[in-house]
Amino acid sequence: MALLLGPFLLLMSKFIIQVNGPAYGTSASVNALRFTQAALMGGHQVVCVFFYQDGVYNSTDFSLPASDEYDVVEHWQQLAVQHRVPLVNCVSAALRRGIVSEQDANENALNHWNVSQSFIMGGLGELITSIESADRLISF
Amino acid sequence: MKKLCILFRSAPQGTVKGREGLDLALLSASFEQEVSLVFVDEGVLHLLKDQQPELIGGKDYISTFKALPLYDIESVFVCKQSLAEYGLSHGLLSIPVTVVNDEAISAHLKSVDEVLVF
Repeated sequence: MALLLGPFLLLMSKFIIQVNGPAYGTSASVNALRFTQAALMGGHQVVCVFFYQDGVYNSTDFSLPASDEYDVVEHWQQLAVQHRVPLVNCVSAALRRGIVSEQDANENALNHWNVSQSFIMGGLGELITSIESADRLISF
Repeated sequence: MKKLCILFRSAPQGTVKGREGLDLALLSASFEQEVSLVFVDEGVLHLLKDQQPELIGGKDYISTFKALPLYDIESVFVCKQSLAEYGLSHGLLSIPVTVVNDEAISAHLKSVDEVLVF
């Protein structure tokens, strides 16, 4: 057992995934999701998935793909729940793009917000500290 | 502490990639990471001095590159070939940089922990 477990543990990696592309329009988000699923299935750890640049568009609850189309946002949300992987938005990248949490809406006297409960509004500092603790950053 | 290389390969106008790359570079440095910058392809246009992005609705984030020494970012490399392709000489650049060839860039990318491309 120890012989089997030894090399197995050595192959474990801690990943941080960065998503820079939107939910619709480029393949970045789907590629990132598939990589993350494969990493988790392979027994690796994913510290967090960080959404930066246009990646923050993955966090809106207001995306409504046609019923016969792949809903990448829904799959990110499922992955976060199933594997307890934090989905973290860069808050400054999000606010500039109209991606607003309930708290941001309250603070800025807005009547609406669109960020899913599955996403955390964080800062680039969280990306940096996650990079520090991970073995490898993978950007999409 | 990790060695992070921020690689700029997009033009400063037209997309916000460069701005978001610079934001990440400065924040990484303030989080005590060892940060280096590399400019290649259209990214070298970030270094051209006297730009006025406000005229086309942009923000002049380019002048923030002058603050790199304040963040202890001292390793700033520029691709010699890309400079030549865009007709840029040392005198046209806004900040002190080290002009290097492909092999030196390749060696640098291998020497750091992570490379983030903007």
